[in-house]
Amino acid sequence: MTVSAIEFTRLGPPKLQLYAMRCQSCKQLSPWWEHFHCYKCGGEVLTEELLEGRGELTNYTVVYYPPRDFLGQEPYVVGHITMDEGVLLPAPVVDTALEDVQVGTRVKSTLRRMKLGHEGDIYYSQKFVVDPNPPKKRARPAAAKAAPAKKAPAKPAPARRAAPKAK
Amino acid sequence: MRVGVLGIGKTPHKIQHSKSLRDLIVEAGRGAIADAGVSPSDIEMLYVGNVGSVGFNYENSTGLMAAHHLGVVPAGAVRVEAACGTGAWALHLGVVAIASGLYDTVMVVGAEKMNDLATVEATSIIAQAADSKEEYFSGLTFPSGVALTARKYMQIYGLTEEDLAHTSVKNHHYGARNPYAHLRFECTVEEVMKSAKVADPLKLYEVCPMTDAGSALILCREEILRDQPDKPQVYITASQMATGTWYAATDTLEDAYRLFNEPATRAYAMAGVTADDIDVAEIYNSFAIQEPLGIEGLGFAEPGEGWKGAKDGSTWKDGKVAVNLSGGLLCKGHPLGATGATQAVDIIEQLRGTAPEGIQAQDPEIGITACRGGPGAVGAIHIYQRLEGE
Repeated sequence: MTVSAIEFTRLGPPKLQLYAMRCQSCKQLSPWWEHFHCYKCGGEVLTEELLEGRGELTNYTVVYYPPRDFLGQEPYVVGHITMDEGVLLPAPVVDTALEDVQVGTRVKSTLRRMKLGHEGDIYYSQKFVVDPNPPKKRARPAAAKAAPAKKAPAKPAPARRAAPKAK
Repeated sequence: MRVGVLGIGKTPHKIQHSKSLRDLIVEAGRGAIADAGVSPSDIEMLYVGNVGSVGFNYENSTGLMAAHHLGVVPAGAVRVEAACGTGAWALHLGVVAIASGLYDTVMVVGAEKMNDLATVEATSIIAQAADSKEEYFSGLTFPSGVALTARKYMQIYGLTEEDLAHTSVKNHHYGARNPYAHLRFECTVEEVMKSAKVADPLKLYEVCPMTDAGSALILCREEILRDQPDKPQVYITASQMATGTWYAATDTLEDAYRLFNEPATRAYAMAGVTADDIDVAEIYNSFAIQEPLGIEGLGFAEPGEGWKGAKDGSTWKDGKVAVNLSGGLLCKGHPLGATGATQAVDIIEQLRGTAPEGIQAQDPEIGITACRGGPGAVGAIHIYQRLEGE
């Protein structure tokens, strides 16, 4: 992705910190890009809230064919991290062997070089590493649910919420 | 509503280094004009679906370029963009133009020239169909975003990677028989499983190639086609569009279901048919997992069961509903702006009975196309019916 130096000043610095947007109407916490209205209730007053930086990997993939700005980092793990505050964020997981990553892995954020832009512009942002000191009691029960499904795939679990039947 | 399909045309779907974007547009467009038996001056409006000429080809104003080189000047012409749903959106605008009564004859073209750039550059351009500056800032790509959906589906419904591989086996069975397809070889479950990893758990044979192609349709008022009974009497009887979430992070399987189910429900009501009436379907599958999601959204299977048809035969040619007899995007490739138009052309060939040998279903009367775009952002449904002697 090519950006101008002017755009870089808008895009880069905010990502040095790990934050999410709190809706002041319904208190829903949304990813950082939801500045304009709350994804859940439509409320238009949202405030930035810094995150502690700890969470759990709830979904992941390994990228073998990266976009240009990530060339040289492949293969890399990128996934969805459910932060302990409850919001789900996309981020890479680094400093770990691909086979050591699984759904339910506890992770914590760390400031790293995220990518290189077309003009040599360097983006720093939050990546995640495996948390060396995970809390003994997990903050969220989601991992307990996801893990058995991975171990016993033979029996399909029902949808969490039944979708309406097509007519 | 009935909009007549007067003519169709398409180019081969493959890497075509000798052809430019305009070559593809003109080849597909002239094919449709000849098939319709009209002249360019009969066309009153031109809709050109093209996603990324600014990035892929360093040229813009694709609609105007197409108008000039197809010779439809002074008819109006405009370029249409809606991520991977672009071709279907161009078709929708063509249908609306006729249904509104404003025009008698319009032309729809979808085209994309993707192979002038290296894969890494093209991947970056494709990623701009999502929020490339915020969400995809994290190193996501389209394959990896959909891989997250696949893993979610596997976690929730217990789908295994072997189960999913049957979808590629089915598509390749038919793709091998489609002379217009990009990848023309059959494969087994084992070969799918052994193919190179692209984005875990998706493998090479579960991912569409980058393809150069164009497709075109000439649409007309119902009466115009009725007055030519020697022409195949295929009509578009429903056209419905929807949006969903633009972010992979907040896109649930329920969202993916609604993306097709909501416009499909509207489309079935519009055409006065049900999911059970559909004989042939072209369902967007740039990645294998999207085929079962589409099958479920269209109401051909319950949520969590859309993958079974490729394994038990019910979505093969002689099954309950034949899905992607063209080989789908997995074999035809996914020339972004062309895809939605190609799906339409392929279904119309099925209803006309002119599909290539080996992939022609037996006497289908009702077909459907489902095109999607963005992480989960565009849902586009069209229904087609052969209505002889009415």
